Amino acid sequence: MNFIVEIERSKKAKLEADDFDSYLRKIYEPDLTNLLKKCYQCARCSGVCQISKVQKFTPSRIIQMILEGFEDEIINSQVLWDCLMCNSCLQHCPKDINFADIVRIARYKMRVKDIQNPDRSIAHKGIYPLMSEMMSQDNMEIERPLDWIPKSCTTSDKGNILYYVGCLPFFNYEFEDSLSIAESTLKIICQLEKDPVVVLKDEICCGHDLYWGQAKFESFIELAKKNIKRFEETGATTIVTACAECYRTFKIDYPTLFEDFKKKFEVKHIIEYIFDKWKQGKVQFKNPNKSHEVIPFTYHDPCRLSRFLPKDNKIIEEVREIFNNLKIIGYNFKEMEHNKENSYCCGVNSWMNCNERSKALRYKRLLEAKAVGTKMITSCPKCRMHLNCLKKDYDNFSSIEILDFSEFLVDLIKIIEPNQTIEEN
Amino acid sequence: MSKSKKKLSKKDFHPNILCFCCNWCSYAGADLAGVSRFQYPPTIRIVRVMCSGRVDPAFILEAFKDGIDGVIVTGCHIGDCHYLKGNEFARDRFERFQEVLKIFNLDKRFRLEWVSASEGKRFAEVITEFTNKIKKLGPLFAT
Repeated sequence: MNFIVEIERSKKAKLEADDFDSYLRKIYEPDLTNLLKKCYQCARCSGVCQISKVQKFTPSRIIQMILEGFEDEIINSQVLWDCLMCNSCLQHCPKDINFADIVRIARYKMRVKDIQNPDRSIAHKGIYPLMSEMMSQDNMEIERPLDWIPKSCTTSDKGNILYYVGCLPFFNYEFEDSLSIAESTLKIICQLEKDPVVVLKDEICCGHDLYWGQAKFESFIELAKKNIKRFEETGATTIVTACAECYRTFKIDYPTLFEDFKKKFEVKHIIEYIFDKWKQGKVQFKNPNKSHEVIPFTYHDPCRLSRFLPKDNKIIEEVREIFNNLKIIGYNFKEMEHNKENSYCCGVNSWMNCNERSKALRYKRLLEAKAVGTKMITSCPKCRMHLNCLKKDYDNFSSIEILDFSEFLVDLIKIIEPNQTIEEN
Repeated sequence: MSKSKKKLSKKDFHPNILCFCCNWCSYAGADLAGVSRFQYPPTIRIVRVMCSGRVDPAFILEAFKDGIDGVIVTGCHIGDCHYLKGNEFARDRFERFQEVLKIFNLDKRFRLEWVSASEGKRFAEVITEFTNKIKKLGPLFAT
């Protein structure tokens, strides 16, 4: 009897392993040279890489070494844990070599085959990736607090439009008022939608940090499966998120794993969402203060909305169109020295590498912001957190206010009610 | 950890509890409990740290992830810390961390206690009480 049970169990385990392998094949390419063949060593990537200026880390050299068969040496040297994954190199590469993707695959090799421990480069003792991993486990019950939802909003379990909150309630324990991003985003969506918005109580992580940071693809695939199943249960067709990383994951990484994800759900970042409504004439911008003081402000492009998206889908011009329109109400938009695709990275990606080198990057970024304005807007909650964290350490940055896109717009938006009454009469 | 998963019936469920003890008070307290032969259940695994302020919330989540049924952190009484303020940092940190544990439904499986070097009996009591509580809650990953 035990014998039969054991056979069945091993069969089931084998099935599960096959299932995992079929998904892994879509996001993992074991032969790195295939992806790098096009490189002709112009070394622009090394020129633009911010890390290469302070440390022995040159992307072009790494590529050439892999091409010449020294892949094991690169993997043993552990140097790829130091990559910031900002993808500036892709922006300047004439051959479109996606270096961040190569680092991601190499990190999987480093972790699984070489059994390396990336602890020295993980920030916050890796507590946030740990939370994501916990959520990927089968028996874990998640119960998020929903007391941050503003009273004017009606939410439900089922509906057409879903607001994906992301990790904001978890960040709240270390970083103050990160939930205000969620609050103001939901306020905007609720004003624009007639039906109640879906906010899940048992929402789980999208898996972005595990995918890019420590390359834990096993947990990422589990999370993706669970997420899609939960989204289907709600009956939602549109997913709105205020997080740049969640957006990139839903827009590109989930569809590579599950082809039908694109057909089932339409994913929108809050910038896209407001831009569409503005173009439809449902939204206007108005200054509640009515003062004649002109406030200069600037915008920090998160890498996930600029460099990490395909060329024709980048969310860069939409924001600028909205911001240039704000000039009438007393907000003057100015560009920083490095902007759009060339903007500096905030230095920390997927909770990796928060050290003096990345802090120097953030310092540079804040200096640029200080030169042009008093407000710095960004559309990635993590950029906001990391920059705010550095701002506290230096007194000379106290004049800059770092805000999320939705936090900035929530007071300026005026909803135009559809004039149904006139039509009815 | 796999043992606790196999024993599913609540009666003979033997919980695994991780206990962080600070070197100066609680570890000496645990020592005293042993020397004075106070009885307490053999459910805990003690990890000695130099101060309760050394314990990071990530350690606790990692323990839960690997299948531990309960975690208890012990340190010196407030004001008695060998490093002056270490246990105050620990207290503040874990107070905030409760929010996260609540989301995972783990807040009942974690406890922060102050035990001094002379309180061997109290150490035994705390462990007995906490073990009974975990026994009532059952294994963490019950299927």
